[in-house]
Amino acid sequence: MTGAGPEAGAGPQLPAGPQASAAREPARPATQPAAAPAGPQVTETEPDARFTFANERTFLAWTRTALAFIAAGLAIVQLLPPFPGVPWGRHVLGIPLIVLGAVIAGVGYLQWTRNQRALRRGEPLPRSLLPRVLAVTTTAMALVAAVILLISALVDH
Amino acid sequence: MPAAPPRDLEGLPPGLARERTSLAWSRTVIAFAAVGGAILKTSITAGVIVIALGVLIWGLVRILPDPARPGASPVRLLVVALAVTGVALAALGVAVFGHARTGPPHAPSPAAHAGHFHARP
Repeated sequence: MTGAGPEAGAGPQLPAGPQASAAREPARPATQPAAAPAGPQVTETEPDARFTFANERTFLAWTRTALAFIAAGLAIVQLLPPFPGVPWGRHVLGIPLIVLGAVIAGVGYLQWTRNQRALRRGEPLPRSLLPRVLAVTTTAMALVAAVILLISALVDH
Repeated sequence: MPAAPPRDLEGLPPGLARERTSLAWSRTVIAFAAVGGAILKTSITAGVIVIALGVLIWGLVRILPDPARPGASPVRLLVVALAVTGVALAALGVAVFGHARTGPPHAPSPAAHAGHFHARP
């Protein structure tokens, strides 16, 4: 996963990561603007603090979303009464939500790293996969919940 | 006549952005505490650990410099990501190995019948 998405290919050839730029200029701190480059290379400057704060708030919002998924999964498994005729129903619903919470936390951090790298380089922000993953998973879990409720109602009657 | 906006927006101090970010950290710590309280109901040890993680994160936010400061490393963000992953693992353990509520639906659980969940009339 590189920081340069498909939108970011308009500039000169980019190295694979910030380490590549640091390897070329080991004496220059990453927070200082680089001097005029002799060849095609990426300059990294410290972005506006407000952009960094906004990026951090986005990461925190994903973190809270992850915690909400974990709490929902735990509540389904521990607090819901068992579905009649579907004793495994609570675990089928709850455990994927908890796993999704862990995935959101990890991917959210990677997303923060990619966004911060793009901000430092002045590139377009990379696309985030998290909204799509969230929408698909939530829809799938709702369908699974509907199926489990239907099976439970049929078995109960 | 309203004042014209400054030409160089990047020169403005990020005061309100910093405050909004601080509030976002507060909400995150509260979310940690809420999840810890939910886990506390089924596993006291895991719940206490999660609540302690929230307190630890709150302390780290106060101590470590924010990533907007030049040269600062995003240690606290990494700590939060790892902490949420740890909470998810703890919740997974409680969900798989914990004692889930048993009994028919719409009936009080044994703990509720004993007066642990609801006060007796």
